Amino acid sequence: MITIPYLTALTTYFSYGLLFAFGQFRDFFRKIFDRWHASNLQGYAPICLGLEDFYIRRLYLRIQDCFGRPISSAPDAWFDVVERYSNDNNKTLKRTTKITRCLNLGSYNYLGFAAADEYCTPHVIESLHKFSPSTCSSRVDGGTTTVHTELEECVANFVGKPAAVVFGMGYVTNSAILPIFIGKGGLIISDSLNHNSIVNGARGSGATVRVFQHNTPSHLEKVLREQIAEGQPRTHRPWKKIIVIVEGIYSMEGELCKLPEIVALCKKYKAYVYLDEAHSIGAVGKTGRGVCELLGVDTADVDIMMGTFTKSFGSCGGYIAGSKEVIQYLKYSCPAHLYATSISPPAAQQIISSIQVILGEDGSSRGAQKLARIRENSNFFRSELQKMGFEVLGDNDSPVMPIMLYNPAKIPAFSRECLKQNVAVVTVAFPATPLLLARARICISASHTKEDLVKALEVISRVGDLVGIKYFPAEPNKQHQEQSMMKLE
Amino acid sequence: MYVKAVPPTDLNRNTEWFTYPGVWTTYMLMVFMSWLIVLSLFGCSPGMAWTIVHLAHFLITYHFFHWKKGTPFADDQGIYNGLTWWEQIENGKQLTRNRKFLTVVPVVLYLIASHTTDYQNPMLFFNTLAVFVLVVAKFPHMHKVRIFGINADH
Repeated sequence: MITIPYLTALTTYFSYGLLFAFGQFRDFFRKIFDRWHASNLQGYAPICLGLEDFYIRRLYLRIQDCFGRPISSAPDAWFDVVERYSNDNNKTLKRTTKITRCLNLGSYNYLGFAAADEYCTPHVIESLHKFSPSTCSSRVDGGTTTVHTELEECVANFVGKPAAVVFGMGYVTNSAILPIFIGKGGLIISDSLNHNSIVNGARGSGATVRVFQHNTPSHLEKVLREQIAEGQPRTHRPWKKIIVIVEGIYSMEGELCKLPEIVALCKKYKAYVYLDEAHSIGAVGKTGRGVCELLGVDTADVDIMMGTFTKSFGSCGGYIAGSKEVIQYLKYSCPAHLYATSISPPAAQQIISSIQVILGEDGSSRGAQKLARIRENSNFFRSELQKMGFEVLGDNDSPVMPIMLYNPAKIPAFSRECLKQNVAVVTVAFPATPLLLARARICISASHTKEDLVKALEVISRVGDLVGIKYFPAEPNKQHQEQSMMKLE
Repeated sequence: MYVKAVPPTDLNRNTEWFTYPGVWTTYMLMVFMSWLIVLSLFGCSPGMAWTIVHLAHFLITYHFFHWKKGTPFADDQGIYNGLTWWEQIENGKQLTRNRKFLTVVPVVLYLIASHTTDYQNPMLFFNTLAVFVLVVAKFPHMHKVRIFGINADH
C-alpha cells in the first residue's frame, strides 16, 4: 500500500501530460519535415510504427544518461563509473576515458560475491583452466560436465527439494519453462506485479492468464473460486491444470510474498504453486535458504521453486527445483535444456563455491557473518531513511528498498545529483513501474560497511532536501531529547 | 493529505494509470486552466472561450481516445495494436465508473458552452456535432466497431 500526497499525484499527472503534449507536437512537426525530404527507401514498409517507440523517442531519450551507465570494474561496494557526455541533448552519448569511483547502491550484490572472493575465485580460475570458458554445446549433446551435475545436486540440497535443473540464463528459465508446464486449457493465475519473464512465459504458453491483486490472498481466493466455477473460456469444461505464480521478494517493491496464506489457499483449491525466488534465495532466511525458511513454509508444499544465480551468488543462470519426476520431464522436453548452450563451467563453479561459503562448508563462518551483516545493514538503512522522512517501501529484512520519487522530473534530478556526490543509484520509471510511482531502488549488500552506509545516508538526505522527496515528516532526533532531559536534572 | 494507491490488476501499462487516485481531478483542473488561458490569450467573451475549449477538447480526445490505436511502447509486442485507447481501458469491460465519468465530461462541457453562448447558431451547431460524435463513440455497442472501415487495421 503506497501513500501518495494528493498534491504530488496531481502534479505528477500534469507533468506527464505536459511531456506527452510536447512529444506529440514534436512528432507532428517531424512528420511535416519528413514529407519535404523524401526518403531513399521507396516502397519499403517502416521498421517500426511511429507510435510504438513514442515513449522511447520522446521521454526515455531525454534522461538517457541516467540509465545504462557503463562501469569499468567489478560491481563491488565501490566501483568505477565511466563518464559520458552528449553534444545533442542526450540523443547520443559518448564515452570518455575518465572514471569516477562511486558507492554502489544499485547492483544486486546481496552477499558480496560480486567481486573477487578469497575462497571462490581460486576455485573458479582452476575450473576455467580445466574446463575452458564455454562448453560449446547444449546439455544433451556434450555440454554436461561434472561441474554441471555437481551444481544440480548442490542446488537441490540447498533449496530443500529432491532434484534441480540449471539453465544458462535467468530470464530464459521462466520464459522457456512455463510453456512446458502448462498449455492451452490450463489456467495461470499470476500476481499483478510479476516480473516480465513470467509474463512472457505465461503469454507464450497459450494458457489463459488471470491476474490477482498484488499480495492479496483474499483476492486470489476470489479469482480462484470464480475461475473454477466458470471453467475454460467458451466450453466451460473444467480447467486441465491451475498454476499460481508468485515471487519471493518483488524486485520493485522490496516486499515479501504472503507465502503461508497463498500456499494454504492453493492446497484448498488444488492449484499448483510456482515460486520465483530470484531476489530472495541466498539473501533472506537464517541460513540463506530463501523465503520458505524465513516464513516457515515447508518446501514440500511449494510445487516448483525457481531462482536465479545472478543476485546472491555472483554468477549467471537460473534453476528450477522440484520433485525427481518433474525435473526428469523437464530435461527431455524443455527447449532451453535441449538446444541452448549449457551454463559456463567457471560460472557454475562460482555458484558451487558460493553455496559452500554460505553453508559454512569451506571451514569458516564467513557465510553466517555475511547473512547477519546483510540483515543488519538493510534494517539499519531502512529505519534511518524512514526517520529522515522518505517514503521507503518493503518489509523488514528485505535488502531491496525503493525510495518513492513520483514526479518525472525528480528521476533525473535525483540520479544526477547523487552521481555528482559519488553515489550511484538506480532509478526506475514507467513502464517498468506504474505511471505515477517512479522510484529510486537501493540494493544493500553484505560488503557495505557501516561507514559506507552512513555516507550514503548523508548524501541521500542532502539530495532528498534539494529534490524535495521527503514526503513524510521527519522524526525528531531522540538523542537531543535525551540530552535536554539530562540537563534539566 | 495522503491517498492510498492500490496496484490494479490491469496488465496493460497504457491504460492502468487511469485507475489511480487523482486522475479525475487533474482532468477537470486541466480543462478549467485551459479555459482561463484561452480567455486571457484571445480576449473573447467567456462563451466563445468555452466553445473553443469544448471544440479543442473534442479534437484532442477524439484523436487520442478513439483514433490512435496501440500503445506507445513496444514491450507488449503489439497485442493491443488493433484497439483504440477507449477499447483498451479496464480490459474492455463496459460501463465502469471511469467510462461513465469520461462520457459525462463532454456532455457537461457542451451544456456549459451552449449556455454561456446563449444557444446562438454557428457555435451551437458545432458544439452539438462534437458532443454527438463523442458520446456515440463511447457507447458499449460501438466496442470494436469501425464504420465503413474507417480506421480499421491495414
